[in-house]
Amino acid sequence: MAARTWRRLLDDRPARAAAAVLACASLAALLAPWISGYDPTLQPDPVTLRLVPPSWQHLMGTDPYSRDVLSRLLHGARVSLGVAAGSMLLAATLGTALGALAAVVGGWVDSFVSGLVDVLIAVPRLLIVVALVATFGALSPWWLVVLLGGTGWLTTARIVRAELRDNLQREYVLAARALGATKWRITWQHLLPAVAPQVAVAAALALAAVVPLEAALSFVGLGVQPPLPSWGNILLDGADYLTSAWWLVVFPVTAITCTVGAALVLADRLRAAIAGEEQAS
Amino acid sequence: MTPLLSVTDLRIDITHGAARAVLAGVSFDVAPGDTVGIVGASGGGKTSLALALIGLLPPGLRASGRVAFEGRDVLSLDDRARRDLRGRRLSMVFQEPFTALNPRQRVGAQVAEMATAHGQRDARRALRDAVTMLGRVGLAEPDERARRLPHQLSGGERQRVLLAMALLLEPALLIADEPTSALDVTVQGQVLELLREQQREIGMALLLVSHDLGVVAGTCRRTLVMHEGRIVEDAPTRQVFTAPRHPLTTALVGAVSRIGARA
Amino acid sequence: MTRLILTRLLQAAAVCAVVATSVFVLLQYAPGDPFAASLDGTDVPPSVRAEWRARYGFDLPPTERFTRWAGALAHGQLGYAPSQHRAVSAVLADAIPRTLLLVGVALALGFALGVLIGLLQARHRGRWPDRAIGALTLGGVAMPEFLLGLLAMTWLGARWRLFPVAGLVSEGDVAAWPMWERLFDHLWHLALPAGVLAISVAARVARHQRAALLGVLSEDFIRTARSKGLGEWAVLWRHALPNAIGPVLALLGLALPSLVGGAVLIEKIFGWPGMGLTLFDALLARDYPLILAATLLATLMAVVARTLTDIVAELVAPRRVRTS
Repeated sequence: MAARTWRRLLDDRPARAAAAVLACASLAALLAPWISGYDPTLQPDPVTLRLVPPSWQHLMGTDPYSRDVLSRLLHGARVSLGVAAGSMLLAATLGTALGALAAVVGGWVDSFVSGLVDVLIAVPRLLIVVALVATFGALSPWWLVVLLGGTGWLTTARIVRAELRDNLQREYVLAARALGATKWRITWQHLLPAVAPQVAVAAALALAAVVPLEAALSFVGLGVQPPLPSWGNILLDGADYLTSAWWLVVFPVTAITCTVGAALVLADRLRAAIAGEEQAS
Repeated sequence: MTPLLSVTDLRIDITHGAARAVLAGVSFDVAPGDTVGIVGASGGGKTSLALALIGLLPPGLRASGRVAFEGRDVLSLDDRARRDLRGRRLSMVFQEPFTALNPRQRVGAQVAEMATAHGQRDARRALRDAVTMLGRVGLAEPDERARRLPHQLSGGERQRVLLAMALLLEPALLIADEPTSALDVTVQGQVLELLREQQREIGMALLLVSHDLGVVAGTCRRTLVMHEGRIVEDAPTRQVFTAPRHPLTTALVGAVSRIGARA
Repeated sequence: MTRLILTRLLQAAAVCAVVATSVFVLLQYAPGDPFAASLDGTDVPPSVRAEWRARYGFDLPPTERFTRWAGALAHGQLGYAPSQHRAVSAVLADAIPRTLLLVGVALALGFALGVLIGLLQARHRGRWPDRAIGALTLGGVAMPEFLLGLLAMTWLGARWRLFPVAGLVSEGDVAAWPMWERLFDHLWHLALPAGVLAISVAARVARHQRAALLGVLSEDFIRTARSKGLGEWAVLWRHALPNAIGPVLALLGLALPSLVGGAVLIEKIFGWPGMGLTLFDALLARDYPLILAATLLATLMAVVARTLTDIVAELVAPRRVRTS
């Protein structure tokens, strides 16, 4: 059934468009060192090349430190999307693992994990992250991945636990167990692949949540530290010139909004595909 | 006498694709005050026919042909004119009494809404009329029942609420789609008697759709037999049951025990 | 109903306990203490600093400090905030109402707007107004609140000078102004931050509301309503909406923690002196008593808000009616 769900998604036009947007962004991020025309951290001419509006030499203009905005945006995509993808994978893995643990082992492990999730989900994630960053000081992007991933697994865990618990009661599972298969084996071989589409939905939503979070952190100076570019701190650099230099705002904002929008559309269409498959079967 | 309802070559197609039409050209008349039954196996198009007459086909289905009600072609009327007819001259009672009622609104208000939707400005008067109607359809303690929510009533009571709603404005034609299939036998009889009473009192015509031949046999003067979107038999009820012309009718009639049916 | 309230209250207590402990533990790893000489740069002699440390228990082992702090908390004493030279409770007493005002107005406005937009979309479902509005709401959800705030502040505030860019009130001797002027000035300053948050809320609510309405519109009782001759708006407003608003309220409750997060950033951008800004400044100044109390209270507010939303959802759309 999961395979058919993926196929349904491939047929869906909005989903394809969204996936294309994300693919473009990822591609741009990966190829950044080769396709950006300028070095993102060098300040070639702080006097004359400062705050140049978009032109043929600088397609997205320059920032207050005379750095080419397009190059910074591309390298920033590397960092922002890298952190986002990393934390999304970490969150998805943690969430699946803990959800599976709760569902399969049950008992007090289940109560503990579920209780933990219920408590943590009520706390604003931004506050946790800000508190941790402010305490330990500025973090390298790797630690950011750990931090953001470590706070983003809650909904995935809930979804996985619910789905697995449901499926573990089904007759075919009970039959398999009667024949000697262990719960873990069944889970690993059959149930987890079956729940993959829902995990994908949660992952897409996690991506949509973490890109703005990282941008916000970088914007207030608590995230990716300059001169390493990220979409958030490009905005920070230009903060004082936003009224006069519109290009410093519009391009990063568009990049972030499009990425998040694409992730949301993908999650939406995937949910529809799951529902459609359920109805058909 | 001009017929109250005159259906000419009514077709219902699925708007996107599907080769077979839901209704493949249906024609019949209903005289004022008449009682006509429509029977047939499930999926034969009975409910779609009923919905098409009142203009409430679900999206995805399209009706064509001519449906002349009180002289006007319902299918070509604009939305406002159709809404004016609904409930006032042409009413419908639906199948599932539970899902057909708004779970969050008191039943008295739901019945009264029939009046307020058609120009009754005095809400209190509308509610009073609704309560009176609930009493006339046989609901015990109508005042108290009117204040309840649908889930606080029994299946039979809910069906009576739907009937009260449909009969409130004394329509010329009532289309009843399986009005008794969700009820047990004793309540069935009461509801059918109720319908007959209304007909006697206000001269209302009744179009009764049912898969239950016993119900139709006991109530309807004429019967239409439908099969796969077509009418295969259109004759006085007695004749349909004693001397069916179409082999499908024979099969249908023969397959049902006739206990309780008046021949 | 009482069981729901009790469960939620217990959860709230658990959340606060966990957060309080976690923050306290965190701060043990943080470098320095608020009385470090490097922080305020004044010529306070080391002996006085040592005395402060002793008074606020900074020379005690962590476990004792925690029990002391928890005990003081139970008595409503939140300590002293060195960065603000005032008691923590005084700082928070000023800040909390401001955040409540901001979030409250944003929620109310956003919810109302979102419901109306969802209704409009449902009315014209499948046609171009629905699609156009849908694109807008997607943008509203996709764009983070702080970016929306940044754009609003840049263009509406700084560029076109329609609204003030920062602060609670205008400069000058505001206290001397007549009441109406003061009220208007206050609202004028509230407009942008609350408006930005409201747009974010409205976009989310609209999307959920549209989906919920479309779900309800396929139910049988809608057909019954139409058979009474009711027009489309009457059907939507009187029959579809009451049955579709419950799930939206419930979802709003779930989204509250992230809304509070967004509010914190908005406060920073617009200089709105509420809990968020206080927390930020406290973090930068390493003002630990304030950090602890502010985080705890911000979390408490989020939990309380969520409980309230759940209760309202239950009142408006009782589960037993929905599932029978």
